[in-house]
Amino acid sequence: MGSDVKLRVQGIEKSFPGVKALDKVNFAVRKGTVHALCGENGAGKSTLMKIINGIYKPDAGEIYVDENPVKIKDPIMARSLGIAMIAQELNFVPEMSVEENLFLGRLPADGMGRVNWREVRQKTEELLKNEGLPYKPTEKLKMLTTSDIQMLEIMKAISNDASIVVMDEPTSSITQKEVELLFKKIDILKAKGCAIVYISHKMDEVFRIADDITVFRDGTVVKSMRAEETNIDEVIALMVGRKMENVYPKEDLEIGEPLLEVKDLKSGQLFEDVTFHVNRGEIVGFAGLVGAGRTETMRCLFGLDPIDGGTVKVSGKEINIKKVSDATGAGMVMLSEDRRRYGIIPMRSVKENASLSALEKFFYGGRHHKQEEVDVVKKYFDKMSVKTPTLETPIKSLSGGNQQKVLLAKWMMRDPDVLILDEPTRGIDVGAKFEIYKLMTETAKAGKAVVMVSSELPELIGMCDRIYVMCEGHIAGELKRDEFSQEAIMMYATGTHNIIQD
Amino acid sequence: MKNGKTSQLMQKYSIFFVLLVMIIASTMMNPSFMSTRNMTNIAVQLAVATILAYGEMVLIVSGLLDLSAGAVLALAGVLSVSVYKSTGNMAMAFAVAIGVSVVFNMINALFVANFGLPAFIVTLATQMAARGLALLYTSGQNILQIGDYAFWGQGKIAGFLPVPVIFMIVATIIISYIMNQTRLGRSFYAIGGNEEAANASGINVIKSKYMAFLINGILVGIAGVLFMARVNAGLPNGAVGYEMEGLTAAIVGGTSFSGGIGTTSGTLIGSFIIGCLNNIMNLQGVDSYIQQVVKGIIIVGAVLYDVRFKNKKAPKVILKKKDEEEKKDDAPKAEAGA
Amino acid sequence: MKKFLASILVMAMAATALTGCGGSEPAAESGDGYKVAYIARAQSDSFAAWLANEMIRAAGEYEDITLDVFDGQADDAKENAAIENAIANGYDAIIVQPNNGEAQRPYVEQVVAAGIVAITTNSRIAGIEGASSVDADPYVQAQVNAEKAIEQVPEGAKVVVLRGPSGNFHADERLKAWNEVFFAARPDVQIVGDDYANWNKDEAMTLMEDWTLAHGKIDAVISMNDNMAAGALEVVKDNPEFDDMLAYGVDGTAEACLLIQDGLMTSTCLQSAIDLADLNMATVHKLLTGEETQIDTDIDAVLINADNVAEYVEMYKANGQITE
Repeated sequence: MGSDVKLRVQGIEKSFPGVKALDKVNFAVRKGTVHALCGENGAGKSTLMKIINGIYKPDAGEIYVDENPVKIKDPIMARSLGIAMIAQELNFVPEMSVEENLFLGRLPADGMGRVNWREVRQKTEELLKNEGLPYKPTEKLKMLTTSDIQMLEIMKAISNDASIVVMDEPTSSITQKEVELLFKKIDILKAKGCAIVYISHKMDEVFRIADDITVFRDGTVVKSMRAEETNIDEVIALMVGRKMENVYPKEDLEIGEPLLEVKDLKSGQLFEDVTFHVNRGEIVGFAGLVGAGRTETMRCLFGLDPIDGGTVKVSGKEINIKKVSDATGAGMVMLSEDRRRYGIIPMRSVKENASLSALEKFFYGGRHHKQEEVDVVKKYFDKMSVKTPTLETPIKSLSGGNQQKVLLAKWMMRDPDVLILDEPTRGIDVGAKFEIYKLMTETAKAGKAVVMVSSELPELIGMCDRIYVMCEGHIAGELKRDEFSQEAIMMYATGTHNIIQD
Repeated sequence: MKNGKTSQLMQKYSIFFVLLVMIIASTMMNPSFMSTRNMTNIAVQLAVATILAYGEMVLIVSGLLDLSAGAVLALAGVLSVSVYKSTGNMAMAFAVAIGVSVVFNMINALFVANFGLPAFIVTLATQMAARGLALLYTSGQNILQIGDYAFWGQGKIAGFLPVPVIFMIVATIIISYIMNQTRLGRSFYAIGGNEEAANASGINVIKSKYMAFLINGILVGIAGVLFMARVNAGLPNGAVGYEMEGLTAAIVGGTSFSGGIGTTSGTLIGSFIIGCLNNIMNLQGVDSYIQQVVKGIIIVGAVLYDVRFKNKKAPKVILKKKDEEEKKDDAPKAEAGA
Repeated sequence: MKKFLASILVMAMAATALTGCGGSEPAAESGDGYKVAYIARAQSDSFAAWLANEMIRAAGEYEDITLDVFDGQADDAKENAAIENAIANGYDAIIVQPNNGEAQRPYVEQVVAAGIVAITTNSRIAGIEGASSVDADPYVQAQVNAEKAIEQVPEGAKVVVLRGPSGNFHADERLKAWNEVFFAARPDVQIVGDDYANWNKDEAMTLMEDWTLAHGKIDAVISMNDNMAAGALEVVKDNPEFDDMLAYGVDGTAEACLLIQDGLMTSTCLQSAIDLADLNMATVHKLLTGEETQIDTDIDAVLINADNVAEYVEMYKANGQITE
């Protein structure tokens, strides 16, 4: 790599007490290219990005921008060096308006410190119009959907005149359409000579846009290479340090009688006429664009939101779902899409988080059977390969993938008949994804029913026996395994199927 | 698993250590500090505040709060005293105190759990209402000549164990049992830690909130009897700001204001830290204004400790360890990372 | 949400209004007769509450006077607002029981300027041109106790002082009298404890418990009110070592009378709400009828001790505060 290198890090080391997070890391990003960083969660990618953004200080090593050595003290300095970071976690203030959020920390002001709101309004309107987002600049951010917020975050970073853009899992919560939009933006940035660091778990995306790929494992760089000189299998093998036999451990199972039957389910302005069923031994997928009503349907089914009409039967018995315990009582469990909001109790231990939905197993006879709780939790953690320092560790300190596995352990402890998973693999690493897929297969094998809501078409196609596609609050179509294709699903999901048929 | 327990013990131990240092320092300053009589004095002085602190701890752990405790205590207390005066029946006096307090707490629970109002506002409103009713009922005058009622605040069992201290000990055992040995306790921690996640896990959030207020109501009612009995009168103006004493004890004892964290033993120690501090300063004749300054510093110190150590983002495991390493190594304490 | 909040506020206001009015009838609209507003310091202060009740009773004895009571809620801003409202509502006379004399002074001056009869009471705001005053002098109330104490307190006695809330006029005046009359005359007396118990019985108990432990026998309790003296006595009442301990208070509450009757408390000074209310109504009537234009008067500071306590116990029996 010659003089066209925009950003270079050399011999970066970073330790946290007891942990070596980064060990002699070298890598370089060329101008006008996309450099993808791959690696499992906890491999050190995000730590490196935080060092580049001035959030952490490295213990050793140098950073060069345009081949000049720089010491990045804080994010403000990083910004002045032209480094923009699109964080994995959304950094927005829900109670503030779109425009206030967009210009948070960099409001244009005159010498007296008065904010030029007219300029803010004008720029925001322009941005919103360009991105085709149907929001007013004064709308509170909490009114926006997650994917729109993610788009805003991306816009905010790019509108900063950055020459180095770091994107940490930018597509984890945006729709396919917006992904296309983002890729177009990346092309524009490339043409402008920007250097882009792109962190993603989605291999298809990486191979679509990356010029270079660097694989991290356990805090070290395993290999840097040109994208055209490698392939998905090699990258995954490098990431996990072993060869992955099969990304989707799907088995063909005997399909039994219907276990979950939903008929004409309806809820307010969210969805209506939702009819579907899931048989024993079956994994059924729900595809659709973000906001098509999939999550909303599952939430109602699980008693989190009120149902306005329709019937729900489990094992042929009609159940009346008013609250979560009605659903769990009937043998249903659901892993929510928003782990931080509906999943974890952050400051409590992994053990307490895991046993939360099966408390009656450990609290009976007027006391707490501590050892039984420890034994059962350990058993499920082993089964799901949860990695945690101790059972008493607060769950917030685990990686996303491990948190997700703890939450799954929580639900599996109830020995459910119907396992509903809403975006179970969002933002988690390849290894954890594989564990979750394995668990789904095992659950189906035990004659249970599995429902998976996902925005990742490859995993739906790879894991499901049938897929329902939702569009604008209705079930737009049902596909059997031999009819699966990304195109077919997208046609139903975007509502173009009917138009073509007509 | 070992080091998790160790660090937990360290956390508990450190607050206990603060108390220990304080006791040793106090004894050195004034030998009569450690006398049986002074210890009994401290325990009696603290009984009411500690019982209130348990109620606040349960509520704060559940993400709630009660600002009406002092006022409800006064209302429950004066009604209880006046029932005793007219009937001479102590069981009825207790029933009235607990009943009144529970009714107020159920009103709190209704507005907080069912209508989703913030506990801060609701309990502030009930504080005004309860104090107003106490004054209205007594026309602002103290109720005197309460007779044997005073036994419950001044009496001693077996000649040495003060009645309020017995109530405090029993409350400690029961609250500790509820928080550690019951499903209800676990649900308090869950709803205070993340209400939506608790709900999505099948915890009955509304019922749990009612139960938290119910427990607080019973404690406040009992405290009402003990308080009035100790001062040997029905004081409608009594116990002003006692909820703050309870809150302070709970927070000093490591209860996190953001909910989800707090223990019975911590609260007890927190209460004793404040009580011993007050006591030694009185024994040494420290100026009242300086006492307030010192108390303020201690509270800020406790909250600082709470924020810096309890809420510190816990260690994140970056490097995966081999299984055998994991067993012998201590947990990495790292900054939030990656 | 907002509606609920509003309704809670309304409820809270209603509750405050209920306690505030103390059961008085709304102002009569009739042309004849006089409309008098009484602005009380705080209804949560037991003496102030008693005084308000006695004011209503005393007003009932004048056919041509209608009295409305307002609550200052122990807050200068609220009390001042209540005075302004009373001016605006066209009362013929306004009686103010200040929360803090200097803070209410300009508002009482406004009353005078509006041509309305103004009286300050318990305690008076001195030196307002055109305003009258009726008071029980807090200095004198402590003084009558202190004068007796000079002879009663033994040589070289160890005493403790229980103060009212810091900055409170009555608390400060009473302490001033003790300092100037008693402590100045008796340099041999040793103060072993001196702290704020804020008029509260329970706070006084905690202080007394700690003091008796730290200093052993205490010869006298000098308290700025009866409530705190009663608290101190509560701590030592069963301890024979303290049998001859002296205890002084102020206010002449029912509890203090009982303690004096039982030989536990030494003396107090009656601040009689009954007398104060009667004198207030007599004064306001004289001013309204034009009999006089400016009056400054005090009720007597009556010392209550073992000699005359029976009389006052009877008084409290009559009003129901003491039962047989």
